[in-house]
Amino acid sequence: MPRSNYDYPGYERSGTTYWTKTTILYAGVIGGALLWSLPFWWMLATSITANPSAASIKLLPSNPTLEHFQTLFRTQPIGKWFLNTIVFAGSVTAFNLVFDSLAGYALAKVDFVGREKFFLLFMSTMMIPAMVTLIPVYVFLAELGWVNTYQGLIAPMIANPIGIFLLRQHFKGMPSALGDAAKIDGCNELQTFYKVYLPLAKPALATLGIYTFIMTWNNFQWPLIISSSDQMYTLPVALFSVRNQFFTEWGLVMAAAAIIVMPVILVFLSAQRYFIRGMTLSGVKG
Amino acid sequence: MAVDDKTDSVTVRQRISRLSESITNFGHADQNNLAGLLLLLPNFVVFSLFLLGPVLFALFLSTQNWNVFTSSGEWAWTTLFGVRLPIQNYVEVLTPWPWENNWASLRSPSYNLWWFALRNTIAYVIVVVPAQIVGAFFLALALDMRIRGKKPLRAAYFMPVMLTSAASGVIWRWLLANNGVVNEFLRPFGLANAWANDPGTALGSLMLIGLWGGIGFNMIFYLAGLQSIPEELYEAARIDGATGWQRIKEVTWPNLRNTHFFVIVLSIIGTFQVFGIALVFARGGPYHATTTTVVLIYQTAFENSNYGEGAAMAFILFAIVFVFSYYQYQLNQQNEVSY
Repeated sequence: MPRSNYDYPGYERSGTTYWTKTTILYAGVIGGALLWSLPFWWMLATSITANPSAASIKLLPSNPTLEHFQTLFRTQPIGKWFLNTIVFAGSVTAFNLVFDSLAGYALAKVDFVGREKFFLLFMSTMMIPAMVTLIPVYVFLAELGWVNTYQGLIAPMIANPIGIFLLRQHFKGMPSALGDAAKIDGCNELQTFYKVYLPLAKPALATLGIYTFIMTWNNFQWPLIISSSDQMYTLPVALFSVRNQFFTEWGLVMAAAAIIVMPVILVFLSAQRYFIRGMTLSGVKG
Repeated sequence: MAVDDKTDSVTVRQRISRLSESITNFGHADQNNLAGLLLLLPNFVVFSLFLLGPVLFALFLSTQNWNVFTSSGEWAWTTLFGVRLPIQNYVEVLTPWPWENNWASLRSPSYNLWWFALRNTIAYVIVVVPAQIVGAFFLALALDMRIRGKKPLRAAYFMPVMLTSAASGVIWRWLLANNGVVNEFLRPFGLANAWANDPGTALGSLMLIGLWGGIGFNMIFYLAGLQSIPEELYEAARIDGATGWQRIKEVTWPNLRNTHFFVIVLSIIGTFQVFGIALVFARGGPYHATTTTVVLIYQTAFENSNYGEGAAMAFILFAIVFVFSYYQYQLNQQNEVSY
């Protein structure tokens, strides 16, 4: 952060210029922030207003009602959708943590033949747009009969070059002397990994875990392709289907949107640091 | 010859031990091939099945008229310059070439949907990427200053990034609906419009959603980049009499060279593959006004079950974004640190 003018002599934190500048700055950033978060507020306000229309929705609804949420829970399998999404995001995260820490460790700390080539091979898959592989993967899973199943939903998401990259960098940053010491004390490669290095990687695992969980929770493209009945929908796909079903009943649609958005916002606000670190390290947005 | 026997048995034993070592260790002696390869195995399997194998399979699919019910395909032959090649899907996607009908396929979706979708996508990229970058830069500058409430402000701008594209699409569809809140504000000025149902404004609305959802993402990178500019440069500029604006122009902006590059590459890759918001906002319509390339690929392959043509389109998209994704790959490689 560069020093501000007011750290220098000749500038006072008073006077018309100072107050004008400060007011403009604050008005700009606060106005922008309100504008940026207004859609969220509008979503919530619509979801608790009976018969919503732009004219009838107040910034603070006077007669809040939960009827849209009740209707949704009565007519739609919301519980199943939640379960599906949690199973999907939870298993993908668990698989990623295990597989990627194994590979990340091997690629960083184990010396074996062709290590750099394997690393390049894994990383080069980052260049492939998702749509290129999703079509053949769908055809392949259709052959296995995995369309509209949990395993079909989860399996293709386990291959994650970003997770490998992230954990490899982290393991590379740890001193090799730790592993050498453990080996002198009689640990084999696997013991060195899970007794010495893995406990040290907890922050990186937390980052990868939270990041993967939210990204998978939000994933729209793959669940849309692989699930064909509303019993297998994840929440984003369910929202799309609710919108297509009740396209004039915005109260219902916004209630469904709120159900999906709120958990993510809560997780984000409590684990913002991890999520942002995951994103800056991988450079990938949803 | 007893001595020779002795040495022989020693060499044999050594050879045997060296041989057994080389089965597990076929490099130099400190290598631990077995452990390394075993640790890599689970990922190697899933990568082969779901990323590397599928690329080859996609290449094969793009040469086929594939039937997913019988899971079999026929070669899609076509004759080009007198040579019989299995590239009929590619020809079908790309022809008529836009110059053959006086660029009409860029103005109307009725000639060739691929070129029209590509036009939509490129228009989206050209508007959204610079707007996101300039917006994110100034936002990061403002939020890097000594102001109160930095954390909630950053969170507010960042929150849309957390949203699934399905939710952004649906929320904005409601805000921009005929009886939605945006029109409610604009009506007194006579500017109310059916934003999503008017082919002339649907793509513009999509750009707005993209900007709303992307600015916070780029802001994070700029905030990180700003931390890396040494204070001395600003001091030197001050001593030379640079005003605030000049310091931004001559010190901050050029010193964020790497951040600019990184953010531009990432944004281009991301926006080129815009899918969720376009599909949810207006299902690619009205009159294909928001049909982007990925939406078109999705509809071709999964709604019309034309997997061969979908795969061909996906490969063309791959070729277009390859240059940028290669840069991203290179950039990620540069982040290497080793101790």
